[in-house]
Amino acid sequence: MRKLKFKYSMELKFSSPVSRHYFALRCVPGDSLRQKITVAECRVSPADYTSADKDGFGNLKISGSCRRLHDMFSYYVAGTAVVQGMTVQKCPLHPMYRYPSKYTEPGPGITAFAEKVSQKCKRQGTETAMERAVCAMHDLYTRFQYIPGVTDIGTTAEQALMQGKGVCQDYAHIMIAVMRQMGIPARYVNGLMIGEGATHAWVEIYTDGGWYGLDPTNDLHIDDYYIKLAHGRDYADCVVDKGIFLGNASQEQKIYVNVEEISDGRDSSVNGTAGGREADDPEKPDHADTSHRG
Amino acid sequence: MKELVEHTEGINRLMARYGVKFGIYKGGEFHEQLFPFDAIPRVITHDDFQQLEKGLIQRVNALNLFLNDIYSEKKIIKDGVIPEEFVFISSGYLPQCEGIMPTKNIYSHISGIDLVLGKDGEWYILEDNLRIPSGASYPMIAREICRRVSPATFSNNSVVDNRNYAAMLRQTMDWVNTGGIPVIMTPGRYNAAYFEHSYLAERTGSELATCTDLFVEDNFLYYRDYREKKQKVGVIYRRISDEYLDPMTFNPESLIGIPNIMDVYRSGNVAIVNAPGNGVADDKGIYYFVPKMIRYYLDQEPILKNAPTYLPFYDEDRKYVLDNLEKLVIKDVAEAGGYGVIFGNELSSEKLSEMKKLIEKESRRFIAQEVVDFQDMEVMEGEDRVLRKADLRAFVLSGETTQVWPGGLTRFSRNADSFVVNSSQGGGFKDTWVLSQWKK
Amino acid sequence: MGIISMEKVDHLYWLGRYTERVYTTLRVFFHIYDKMIEQPEGIYAKYCERLNIPNIYTSNRQFAMSYLFGENNPDSLRSNMERAYDNAVVLRDELSTTVLSYVQLALDAFEACRKTTAPLLELQQVIDDLLAFWGGADDYVEQEDCRNILKCGKYVERLDLCMRLDYHTENLEKEYRKLCNRLGKTNLVYHEASLNRLEEIILREEHPEQYYREALGCLGALLA
Repeated sequence: MRKLKFKYSMELKFSSPVSRHYFALRCVPGDSLRQKITVAECRVSPADYTSADKDGFGNLKISGSCRRLHDMFSYYVAGTAVVQGMTVQKCPLHPMYRYPSKYTEPGPGITAFAEKVSQKCKRQGTETAMERAVCAMHDLYTRFQYIPGVTDIGTTAEQALMQGKGVCQDYAHIMIAVMRQMGIPARYVNGLMIGEGATHAWVEIYTDGGWYGLDPTNDLHIDDYYIKLAHGRDYADCVVDKGIFLGNASQEQKIYVNVEEISDGRDSSVNGTAGGREADDPEKPDHADTSHRG
Repeated sequence: MKELVEHTEGINRLMARYGVKFGIYKGGEFHEQLFPFDAIPRVITHDDFQQLEKGLIQRVNALNLFLNDIYSEKKIIKDGVIPEEFVFISSGYLPQCEGIMPTKNIYSHISGIDLVLGKDGEWYILEDNLRIPSGASYPMIAREICRRVSPATFSNNSVVDNRNYAAMLRQTMDWVNTGGIPVIMTPGRYNAAYFEHSYLAERTGSELATCTDLFVEDNFLYYRDYREKKQKVGVIYRRISDEYLDPMTFNPESLIGIPNIMDVYRSGNVAIVNAPGNGVADDKGIYYFVPKMIRYYLDQEPILKNAPTYLPFYDEDRKYVLDNLEKLVIKDVAEAGGYGVIFGNELSSEKLSEMKKLIEKESRRFIAQEVVDFQDMEVMEGEDRVLRKADLRAFVLSGETTQVWPGGLTRFSRNADSFVVNSSQGGGFKDTWVLSQWKK
Repeated sequence: MGIISMEKVDHLYWLGRYTERVYTTLRVFFHIYDKMIEQPEGIYAKYCERLNIPNIYTSNRQFAMSYLFGENNPDSLRSNMERAYDNAVVLRDELSTTVLSYVQLALDAFEACRKTTAPLLELQQVIDDLLAFWGGADDYVEQEDCRNILKCGKYVERLDLCMRLDYHTENLEKEYRKLCNRLGKTNLVYHEASLNRLEEIILREEHPEQYYREALGCLGALLA
């Protein structure tokens, strides 16, 4: 159990003013069995209104709009989280996490990979879902290269696997596709991790009547240095920052995440369990331009 | 009736004048086409309709309960009545709708149930349409004109006056209205059913709106007028598909949707007719289970029959399907709108064995049906009466109660050997008479 | 009720303009057609100039057919009628099916007339349908606001055509007052300076015809 202090800010600048801007944000972590959140500050601006509710997956979602002309948009969330790592969060399974979704439809690559992992597990006598998942994660970590810029937010698990490289979103999608193929329910998770950087993506698998987190990008179990934002069948279900607007503007996005440990009432920057791991930037700007509308 | 047939041309002329058309895309271009009317009606006797009515109400009630269950407790799955894969791999299942309680718990307000009359005199359900079934406007306007052409025909035959569709629809909308104006939302004038959208708006006294007229603010849906005044919308009968409804929740590329309308809906601040997510209940794979739903939710025997259907997913059914493939119709569950339908008797022996392998490998993907031998209907072709395939789309409205519109859309195929009654394939339509009890 | 969206305002206004355009130019055309009997080839050039449409025509006869019925000629009356229809078809709930049907009939009449041997004789049908449309609009269009916006379009177009074609200019003042009357009843945002200048030209200038070009500009800017 650890107490973390987090800050998450996003700033979007438009090259020329835009209007009729609608957004849906999953940038505020919610309470769950593994984390208790106290939000100290949450700002979204500019906004005509904001409204917070849970989405169909149980994530906190803030939606709103800014219809008047504006040339920047930002949000800032800060607070503390009391986190418990490496635990199974007991919860009934929604069956949808057993089946392929848009980004995790298995192709020949995924099928072969899953087959290979299954055989390896059989040879090693590995039987539990957890062990098989960890085995798959390790194989994925070994064969897949972390290289930003070669995939985008539309890349599927199969495509990424074929390329052999990508970012954390791709690691997560491949892992989910392989898990489901091996009969282990799995879901996609967005969140923040210790240190400075951007948002991160990982995986939860269903085992022993609950969800358990694994981070295939770093070949690690999800411990108490991670704060979860949202989950879904894949990336598309739980986009952290989604927006559409009217206007023909290019956009420049700045994301800043800082998660620090609070110990003995003092703040100190601890660099997590694994030295040198970096948060990457899977959540490429998804503020789609809808200049053709209207 | 002779009078009606004699004046077929005049009736069609009047319909042309009223703009009774549907749109189709040919070579990427939009065309409007008239929907030819055949004056020989489909006649349903009083007793037959009573039975049909009971069966349709039963079916639609069960389907509504199913939708309610799927988006909340999922008891029917937990109890093993429907295997979960048939529900959760369906593209019509929308997890974004989990936990939403639609106003008055109604999901399918307007259901279009397609039936055929078998040679054995029994009605068979072909498919359920619980998303945005269209077609009511054509018989509405046809009846109006036919009564003018030959009033005696209608009084002599004791045909039930069914010019109440718009009123029924408005009542259905009013019943779920959360306090605001009623709106019919159209994707725009280049939609195949645009005539119907505009006609129903006129007849129900609803505002016809496109996405540019509607917007979300403070978690309410508003209609904007030209003086920049806004009116709260209480019920939206949207004629655009789920996928395009809200770019913030579904397809982000949609330019014809209303951003954040799903939040308004989730908060209970607007009623959406029909509810998003209904596609899970009118899926080809789920069709097989509707009789089971009726038994499960209502504890009743189904009054109306499905066409005999087999699910290769089950061992026993798979065996039957593989042994009898050449006389069955195979449907790919994932495909929609007439695609992925294969007639076993049209396959070469080579293709047959290929199909068998595929069914064995992907048993969940297909359903197989017996070819229903349905009654042909008389259609005027010039001066001659010829026989053509025809189906019936019955409209069932669920508001305070579930009601069946005494009429429906009877479509027929243009070609003698065609089973396709789709209007875009050049078919036409007929009026559907329901006779009253007091037949003279 | 009583709410009209921005988009529908636009459609109402242009429906008013296009139906009026077809109606009045058709009537003017009857005169021209008549004159052409005694006139040499090419008399249509002047007409094109006045209407400010390109003279793409090759003979009196070809002018008559193309200007009336040319499907690919954007200035043909048929094309204008199609635009009227395009605006009308999205207004069924405002106009009613009854009123909308006269626009449909007028469009269909164009199609039917083209195939006859005496198109001008049959074109009377279009005039009848358009008159019925206007009568129907007065009677059946429930919302006063809708009627007023429709009429604004109609009178803007009529003023425009009268000045361009020098057609019944003695009525300019009357038509102008009709426009003002309707405009005042709507909540449309219009360009006030343009309206004032238009009034000056029509009501106070000694030789208004010298200022028609300017007046046409004012009309164009009025509700742009």
